[in-house]
Amino acid sequence: MKRVLVIDDATTVRMYYRQVLEAQGFAVEEAANGYEGLEKALMESFDLYIVDINMPKMDGYTLLRSIRQEPAICATPAIMISTEGQVQDANAAYAAGANLYFNKPVKPDVLALTVRMLTGEKPT
Amino acid sequence: MNSPAAPTISEEEFQKFRDFFYRKTGIYFEENKRYFVDKRLIERIKATDNETFRNYFVMLRFETSGKELQQLINLMTVNETYFFREEYQFTCLVKSVLADILPRKRCGEPIRIWSIPSSSGEEPYSLAIYLLEYWPQVNAYDIELIASDIDTEILKKARQGRYDQRSISHLPAHLLHKHFTTTANGAYQISDDLRNSIDFTQVNITDLNQMRIYRNFDVVFCRNLLIYFDDTSRRIAAEALFNALRPGGFICLGHSESMSRITPLFKIRKFPEAIIYQKPLR
Amino acid sequence: MSLIKKSQDISPPVLEENRRTPRDRAGLLSQLENDAPDIRRWAALDLVEFPDTAEVLCAQLAQETQTPVREALLTTLIKIGNPIVVNRLIPLLRSEDAALRNLVIEALQQLPEAVAPHMKEMLRDPDADYRIFSINVLDNLKHPQAPAWLQEVVEKDDNINVCAAAVEVLAEVGSAEVIPALSTLPERFDNDPFMEFCVQTAIRRIQGNGNRI
Repeated sequence: MKRVLVIDDATTVRMYYRQVLEAQGFAVEEAANGYEGLEKALMESFDLYIVDINMPKMDGYTLLRSIRQEPAICATPAIMISTEGQVQDANAAYAAGANLYFNKPVKPDVLALTVRMLTGEKPT
Repeated sequence: MNSPAAPTISEEEFQKFRDFFYRKTGIYFEENKRYFVDKRLIERIKATDNETFRNYFVMLRFETSGKELQQLINLMTVNETYFFREEYQFTCLVKSVLADILPRKRCGEPIRIWSIPSSSGEEPYSLAIYLLEYWPQVNAYDIELIASDIDTEILKKARQGRYDQRSISHLPAHLLHKHFTTTANGAYQISDDLRNSIDFTQVNITDLNQMRIYRNFDVVFCRNLLIYFDDTSRRIAAEALFNALRPGGFICLGHSESMSRITPLFKIRKFPEAIIYQKPLR
Repeated sequence: MSLIKKSQDISPPVLEENRRTPRDRAGLLSQLENDAPDIRRWAALDLVEFPDTAEVLCAQLAQETQTPVREALLTTLIKIGNPIVVNRLIPLLRSEDAALRNLVIEALQQLPEAVAPHMKEMLRDPDADYRIFSINVLDNLKHPQAPAWLQEVVEKDDNINVCAAAVEVLAEVGSAEVIPALSTLPERFDNDPFMEFCVQTAIRRIQGNGNRI
């Protein structure tokens, strides 16, 4: 079973991604800020990270840059999803190490398909 | 007769509380802890004269002093100390952490280890025993062990080094015989050699001025202390720990604690035995 | 002997200072501009003794790039915690620097009394991102007005992400009065599945059913 780590400080957002992805057969773990996300990413192995930008203690950009510097996890794909909808936000996400950037809210079918594509799950 | 019915906790309320508690402490209760959590919540709902979870939760969430949250954390966590508690961290110290530190040591420079809060001494004495017994290079280095607590009474007890059966029950028998004697009334007295190997001092970790002299530590054990502080005190204490460490020095928190709720000042280091936080070398 | 006791070594004069300037106000302020981050960091911590330096500390926070110095500045600013601090921190919510914004949010959360007079205006700002950050402040703010402020957001704001952020907090702090306003949200936002999910979750949590049996 492919494992996804959802890193977002909003409880309802984490619950929403969990519901969408579990229905697709993914195992979902959660972290409530970037620093906790980094800790979990180092402790366990995941096939994909979903990362918010604005979080306490460590923001999403800093988290992605840290992940990309850790040899054991630097190749794991990451989707950044945030409320900020400007082109420069997508650019900044890409520069920090995101493979994809979405504006919130994300439609469940788009999220599910994207996660399947990035984790190499077969099409349904 | 109109004795009030006991408050109950619904599934939704349990989840609401669980998410709140997780955000405040980093401790996450799985569904199988439901009974444990409910029982303690109901205890506090009654003790605070609230009739429902709803009223109690509003108080908990908005109380400026944060006192009730601390009460609840006390209840939800097991705060006891005994010899070799969370032994995997001591194993990590002798197998991984010290090896990481040694290359940065100048010739003859001592290794400095700090235990705070020392409580009645089980943790610093465990450290001393562990180093003597399980660190092969122990005789090649000078090691300074400092143990501090805010409570002068508990420090007296720590200096005295006399323990009951419960405190020593996790110690291997041969180490018990080697480092303790049994007193007339069945207590266990730790050896004078060990008592004399530790400096016990009184300090308040949130007092910047008192903390100034605690510097240049290589390793700090600060287990199950920060979790009992409110957000601001926790931040102040984390700064104090940062100040106390050398660059590259390590800090061990309790197993249910994480720096991720406190401060991003420290690097996360993964060793085979444990996750430990490190002050950046820069 | 491998374990050595050195009580005399931990007395103040031996370990303390490798500091050149004394800890007076002028000295600390000049150290706050030093090139060495460690000296700036100590100055930031020690300036807690001088609450009238709040403005300078806030200005330093806005331009400081080193995380440890930023954290120290924030610790001191929270301890000072007066209206000047809040007045100077709030504009930093507009910073392009995500890490700085989140530090500011964290500090404001600790200062409910000083933040309260600003909140209504913050929640009506034309910039949706700024409104979301203001709601993030409420997320951990111990102020009894928080549910009422959030209810107004849910009733009047026309940005889906702003409303979703408010619903997230209301799931924790809301009471039954807010449920009618929550119920209108999905329709206002084209029955967006995420908004539906948030509203359902919040209503379930607000209702609970753990009253007395």
